[in-house]
Amino acid sequence: MESKNNWKAWLYLAPALILMAVFTFYPLINTFFISFLKNYDYRSGANDGFTFDNYGIVLGLVEKIPGIAESKVTSFVQYALPNTLIITFVTVPVSVILALVIAIGLNNIKWCQKIFQTIFFMPYVTNIIAIGMVFSVIFSNNGIFNNLFGISGTQWISVGASWGNSMFVLCLYIIWSALPYKILIFTSGLQGIDKQYYEAAKIDSTSKFKTALKITIPLLSPQILYITITSFIGAFKEYNAVIGLFNRSYTSSGNVNDLYTVVYFIYDQLNGNNPQMQIAAAGAVVLFAIIMVFTVVQMWISKKKVHY
Amino acid sequence: MEIRLIGLTKKFDGDKKKNIPDTIAVNNFTVTIKDGELIGLLGPSGCGKSTTLYMIAGLKEPTSGEIWFDDEDVTHLAPEKRGIGLVFQNYALYPHMTVYKNVAFPLTNLRVEENKKDFKLMSYDLILKILENPKEVNEAILESALNGKVTKVGAVRVLCEKYHCSKYIAANLFNACVHGDEEAYIKKSNESIKARLTRYKEKGISLNDKFELLSKPIEKESNELKFLLIANTVLEKRKEMLLLVKDTDEIVINNLIQKFNCSNSIAKKVLKIIRKSTKETEYEINKKKYSEQYCNLLAKYKNHGFIVKNGFILKKDASTMKIVRRLTKDEIDSMVREAARLVQIQDYLDRKPSELSGGQQQRVAIARALVKKPKVLLLDEPLSNLDARLRLQTREEIRRIQKETGITTIFVTHDQEEAMSICDDIVVMKNGLVMEKDHPQEVYKDPNCLFVAKFLGTPPINVFKGRIEDGFIWIGDEKITKTTKKIENKDIFIGIRPEGFLMADEASESKKCLTLNVTQILTMGRDLSLVCNHKDFCGENIKIIVDSDLDVKIGDVKFAIRPNKIYVFDAKTEERIMF
Repeated sequence: MESKNNWKAWLYLAPALILMAVFTFYPLINTFFISFLKNYDYRSGANDGFTFDNYGIVLGLVEKIPGIAESKVTSFVQYALPNTLIITFVTVPVSVILALVIAIGLNNIKWCQKIFQTIFFMPYVTNIIAIGMVFSVIFSNNGIFNNLFGISGTQWISVGASWGNSMFVLCLYIIWSALPYKILIFTSGLQGIDKQYYEAAKIDSTSKFKTALKITIPLLSPQILYITITSFIGAFKEYNAVIGLFNRSYTSSGNVNDLYTVVYFIYDQLNGNNPQMQIAAAGAVVLFAIIMVFTVVQMWISKKKVHY
Repeated sequence: MEIRLIGLTKKFDGDKKKNIPDTIAVNNFTVTIKDGELIGLLGPSGCGKSTTLYMIAGLKEPTSGEIWFDDEDVTHLAPEKRGIGLVFQNYALYPHMTVYKNVAFPLTNLRVEENKKDFKLMSYDLILKILENPKEVNEAILESALNGKVTKVGAVRVLCEKYHCSKYIAANLFNACVHGDEEAYIKKSNESIKARLTRYKEKGISLNDKFELLSKPIEKESNELKFLLIANTVLEKRKEMLLLVKDTDEIVINNLIQKFNCSNSIAKKVLKIIRKSTKETEYEINKKKYSEQYCNLLAKYKNHGFIVKNGFILKKDASTMKIVRRLTKDEIDSMVREAARLVQIQDYLDRKPSELSGGQQQRVAIARALVKKPKVLLLDEPLSNLDARLRLQTREEIRRIQKETGITTIFVTHDQEEAMSICDDIVVMKNGLVMEKDHPQEVYKDPNCLFVAKFLGTPPINVFKGRIEDGFIWIGDEKITKTTKKIENKDIFIGIRPEGFLMADEASESKKCLTLNVTQILTMGRDLSLVCNHKDFCGENIKIIVDSDLDVKIGDVKFAIRPNKIYVFDAKTEERIMF
């Protein structure tokens, strides 16, 4: 009976499957394939056969033009990867914890709850480039931030600002724009928790903090896992925040791309007259591998800590 | 603990704009529940019984009225300060915690004030006592073997059971015995005990036989007391005082020092007072003031357990030291195990609630409510999630646990059978009003209104429309019985319990009987259940239970009625009419 009706299911799935095959599966596999081609030309498809050199070039182990040491690409290992890791391991924990605290707070207040929810959700419907422009005004040399702390003249995002200052603003910006979605998910998760658990806890004279720690967070752990994994992936793919805030890949002019993220690096390979498709592909596969490893680790941890 | 509810009322505000009237969920609920009683709040859904329970728990604030636990007004007390245990309708067990952690959770918040004890010494003592018979321990460990293998977890569980001790002690026992070097363990323990005791000795602290710490005795002079005593003595007799003041400061001070054997500074202070007290009015004021101060200080020291000698020497005997603290892991463990034993869930402690059956979950919920030894246990429809067989079993379980612990228990249910079978007293509610409160059998035998009569009993009471006329009770044109009191003619409802019907003997009183049209006969073994019709019956079918020996046929049958199974109610007020 089941096998007979199978074709119907496939028929219904077909539009989605076909589109996904063309626009998702094929590019995915092709990227992997291209990353192993030597001197790939994306217009003609011509190449000089298989090689592992593309990975070597991305990781800064092999010279781009054989024999010339200066042609080594160091920006991936030196800047793109560290920056991405910093962004990930700073913004994700901070924004998840902050979102959790705000969501629990929102859930507990009765007064003006809806208004506050709207306020916290505003960044989500705001364009990230627009937010970037607002941040660049706030953090300009004579901006609000400097005035507020009486440190007028400190450079944060203008050309010539230190790398640390720039990263600080970048992380702040990413955290701020990442909050609303997380708060939304957490708030809806919180509303799904049976109120009786809290009544039971109240009768047992549990403090507010302990209730949050021992009851709310464990019961919210599926949502926390989901948010953590998706925001880890998102943070690894961070690119448009840099564009939105700086619109460049360097803090001071001098051809040092110290604001690179992995995806920024990949995009830059495709720039110009002679796009290095195979190197971009190799970079993408490396990123894929890193994300894969982290996701697997998180899933493994979650098996012990998440309660469904 | 006795619970008194006085005029308890809960009103939920309506919405005037949408023309929703206020809802009075509980209306003027006044009931006293005696200490150690199991009381059932019984009523149809929406009668306010759960609301009452939650008000007692403190989770809902009453609109008006008072709640008293013994002599304490707890109406506005926070729920956590009331000392109650509450079992929710769907148990509200924390799904992410094991049964053990669920039961232990209330204890982790508990703070107790008690005498300071040395738990290390206590556990050493217990271990050494058990180790006096190491063979027994070894046997217990061997018995715990599962598939021929002894595991530490299993052995610890068995030892906990056997010696009623915590798992930490059990683990120590296991470690000592399983390596076969009990001797060494005992020696080591004795050394540790000695070391601890000497440390206490150095601090001047002693221990009693319950391992409670006793502070060292204190004996000291209080300068303040001494000063006040001297001042009082001098001020007592005015003439002597005036004589004393005549001399210069130096001589007076010397006199004081000689007379009272006090220090220079005290003498100076006393002199100042005397100099100020030469006038009559000021003398009186000062005399009163200092004697008051002296009395107050004495009372203060007495409250702190001091004995005052010679008026100024403070003495305090060795006494237990008090401490407010959280429970230790050991205590929590033993309390959890005790509660688990009580409700028989010892074997499931390591499971998650989702891995338990409904009945087991319910027992876990009761254990969690009982573990902190509440003064009141509140149960909110605890059996409604269970299947019929389990329900029977569990309700007896609840009764057993309640009897064993002697906790005043309030039990909310809509199942009259449940309430009747286990409660000491039942309170029947309707629309927020208390209809009747009494022993279950009394309420059944002697209902005071139609609602209560209808609510209790399976099959339910059969209600007929009838009338009182000329000293007789009539259904249709049949006389049912005679009234003994003089009652004016009026319309009434007549309730007859299903077991109140007898086959009318043709020969005897054929006049006082009720003719019913039997449509169905259901044999139920011991009894016959008859389904009948009657034109004056309020409802669908009349259900009668008669003895199965009787020979009943379908069609019109005449029934005599047991007089004590007839209840008469006013047709308008539905109040009981005694006839």
